[in-house]
Amino acid sequence: MTCAELQKVLPYIIDGNGTEEEQAHLATCQVCSDLVADLRYIAECAKLLVPMEDPSPRVWDGIEKSLDREGLTKARRTF
Amino acid sequence: MTIAKKILANGMSEHEAIDLAKQGDAECFEALYGLHKRRVYSLCLRMVGNTAEAEDLTQEAFLQLYRKISTFRGESAFSTWLHRLAVNVVLMHLRKKGLPEVSLEETLEPQQEDGPKKDIGTRDNVLAGSIDRVNLERAIESLPPGYRIIFVLHDVEGYEHNEIAEMMGCSIGNSKSQLHKARMKLRDLLKLSRAEKAAARR
Repeated sequence: MTCAELQKVLPYIIDGNGTEEEQAHLATCQVCSDLVADLRYIAECAKLLVPMEDPSPRVWDGIEKSLDREGLTKARRTF
Repeated sequence: MTIAKKILANGMSEHEAIDLAKQGDAECFEALYGLHKRRVYSLCLRMVGNTAEAEDLTQEAFLQLYRKISTFRGESAFSTWLHRLAVNVVLMHLRKKGLPEVSLEETLEPQQEDGPKKDIGTRDNVLAGSIDRVNLERAIESLPPGYRIIFVLHDVEGYEHNEIAEMMGCSIGNSKSQLHKARMKLRDLLKLSRAEKAAARR
């Protein structure tokens, strides 16, 4: 298998293991194995991205105004 | 104490808050917003890459939530349902703006420029260990919109290709192809950013 042939199936093997032939190429080709390692690493890092930021308070203010305007809410409770 | 915390501190579960919100309880609306605002806003921000637009879309997503909450039957988790609703709000917005999401002419055939580069050189160029949250977020922001959306939906948010294809109205192969191109582009952007940092240190 050549690098060009591997390249054609790359989208399929990043999230899987690939065939024996593809694995054999990766075992002997540093360029392709580095590429696969990088793409898998990027996907792994992306999974770890957690929501970090809260929206500005004006977002809720806008929602509240619209809710009142549309009559979607009833009177507020007291705790 | 925020409304969300107050409601939960009073022993009310999210499930009960949803039931009361269906009856128009204002505090429960606010509590649900408090519980889910960060995740919805982050999704919008990552998909559109712009704070002002992300805020507008967050507002629209929650308004739609409140308009439709009576139709929530609990077949899926509330957060899953809300999240899907938010994705649809963003996609609808992008369609209105006429931004390309996924070109339907795309095939799975990778373009030549996306292939392995032979001039990569030493193993120092492998990304392993070099990505942190900030530079990955920045690189995602720099992606072309079509790539960014697929990447965020699949790799960050964990949607499957069949779900993405359904939401975006494209084929599963198309979604896979775009994801691959997005990752390739990110690899270039992350390497460039690392090279720039290294040059600045010299």
